[in-house]
Amino acid sequence: MSESQASSVRYDGATKRYRGSSEPAVDHLSLEVPAGEICVLVGPSGCGKTTAMRMVNRTVDIDEGDILIGESSVRERDAAQLRREIGYVIQQIGLFPHRTITQNIGAVPQLLGWDKDRIRARSAELLELIGLDPELGDRYPAQLSGGQQQRVGVARALAADPLVMLMDEPFGAIDPINRERLQNEFLRLQAEIRKTVLFVTHDIDEAIKMGDRIAVMREGGRVQQYATPAELLMAPANEFVEDFVGADRALKRLALMRVADINLWEAPLAHVGQATAEVRAKLDSPAVEVPFPLLVDSERRPLGWLSERDLAAENVPGRPDSPLGPVLELDDVMRDALADLLQHETQYAPVVDHERRIVGVLSVEIISEFLASPEAKTDEHSAAERPHG
Amino acid sequence: MASVALLAAAGEVGGDFFKERDVGSLCQAQTQHVFCFDWAKENIDRFGQPTVQHLQIVIPAILIGFVVAFALALISHRIRWLQPPLLAATGILYTIPSIAFFFLLLPVTGLGRDTAIIVLAAYTLQIIYRNTVLGLNNVPDSVKDAARGMGLTQRQILWKVELPLAIPEIIAGLRVAVVSTIAIATLAVLISAGGLGTQMYNANLTFPTSIIIAGAIVMLMALAFDAILLLVQRLTTPWRRATRA
Repeated sequence: MSESQASSVRYDGATKRYRGSSEPAVDHLSLEVPAGEICVLVGPSGCGKTTAMRMVNRTVDIDEGDILIGESSVRERDAAQLRREIGYVIQQIGLFPHRTITQNIGAVPQLLGWDKDRIRARSAELLELIGLDPELGDRYPAQLSGGQQQRVGVARALAADPLVMLMDEPFGAIDPINRERLQNEFLRLQAEIRKTVLFVTHDIDEAIKMGDRIAVMREGGRVQQYATPAELLMAPANEFVEDFVGADRALKRLALMRVADINLWEAPLAHVGQATAEVRAKLDSPAVEVPFPLLVDSERRPLGWLSERDLAAENVPGRPDSPLGPVLELDDVMRDALADLLQHETQYAPVVDHERRIVGVLSVEIISEFLASPEAKTDEHSAAERPHG
Repeated sequence: MASVALLAAAGEVGGDFFKERDVGSLCQAQTQHVFCFDWAKENIDRFGQPTVQHLQIVIPAILIGFVVAFALALISHRIRWLQPPLLAATGILYTIPSIAFFFLLLPVTGLGRDTAIIVLAAYTLQIIYRNTVLGLNNVPDSVKDAARGMGLTQRQILWKVELPLAIPEIIAGLRVAVVSTIAIATLAVLISAGGLGTQMYNANLTFPTSIIIAGAIVMLMALAFDAILLLVQRLTTPWRRATRA
């Protein structure tokens, strides 16, 4: 997929009026989606998000204003030609029941006049990319599960390496467990292919999870806030956004972060046999905020916490008084890390790297300070840092 | 048959269908028998020409009926408001009693095969039109939406997506139309169009062997056409048989 291409999308006062309705469905929408990013259009039903998305490939006509893909206006293009350059994924999937999976994936390439061998090769490549057995290529859609069909729907949209992908509630009809899996798979895929994606959903949690940017809309496609998920959660622009994001937005932010994203406390380390006086001196240092020393082995792998009683001895004992409790990893999602701390009724947990070596300590205090700090508002939310499966 | 009176009435118009037919000596003594094998063996040749004539009526009638009904279905697929009036019109044609239909057309198209073909074609319109429309309407909106969103033109959506998916309904309609057309074509004899009806109406009603043979050929013909259509459906809709592995 090294040849993968993507273009920016810019709404420029785009307006759609449906006949017989006094208010426009989308009223002078202006919005810019940078190339290679996922922009989620989210809002209550009837807010015009789907209409706005469909204007891009002109399955809904633009009455006024324009939409630019890269530098070129979609209004100047032949609609069918335009659509072949734009991936299209819908909730009901809409695979062709009478075509095999390979033929379904090859639908747009076929329209573009690719030869048979190239279409077959491309289908096989995409089946592999979406994690399906290439043998499924000769099956018909009815022979696949709902989740497999939706993956094929995504593969079909990607077949001709589109400049832009439109995804209309793509995982809305999938059960919660498979939805989560498909979301994670798509994010992993997106990290590789870096398409410009317009993603429509009414589910704010999905928006926060999937979006590099989120446009919160209300009736008439009026954008209430266009921001990164972190910004949206930290500083809702108005009451509408605040209500829509929900009262638990602070906790939602934690789902966006990993332990590695936050400044950890330094752990006062102790080694077996070390003089306790040395360890106590370490605890007194103003840089150290953890009140207990962490016992580590020679590879700096945590063994347990030392108590006051342990420190009363001359040397650090081989067996610490307090159990180690939860051990977190840098890749852990912050929300899960907090859950871990709360579940173990502990204030602190050591954080380790892939070799299980200590890198720092996470505390409930760090998390609550982070949530309250203004600095968190400018916290960069990048696709690479998001929780993947 | 309750149509003896009608046949007599038709005789004044058509003329030749009560011509003397020769039962022969084979089964003279046993004319009351349901089926006379000896006669059948001797006279099987009599059925060749009427069978060919029957096909010469049935095949053009179905082809014309299909082309017209299919065209109407495609037109009204694009222009939706045409569907109710077309459904009504073809439905009215279908309700005209066949004998009345034959005789009503006589002053216009005269005796013979053309009239029979026109009447039979008209009868097929309702079922083929209705099923084709039904088949096209049954294509899921999501499939059409996806097709359109991927850049298929209206024409491509029709020919590559909608019609292939409508094949089962279209063929179901054709099967009903074919069987009824083959059966009703036995009445073509009333307007001197020949066909297997000749071997039924010219028969001595007390000697049913000829009627039975002609009837059997009609049934076999219907079964054969039905089997061919079923085969066509199986070949053109492999996805319908695909089940989860």
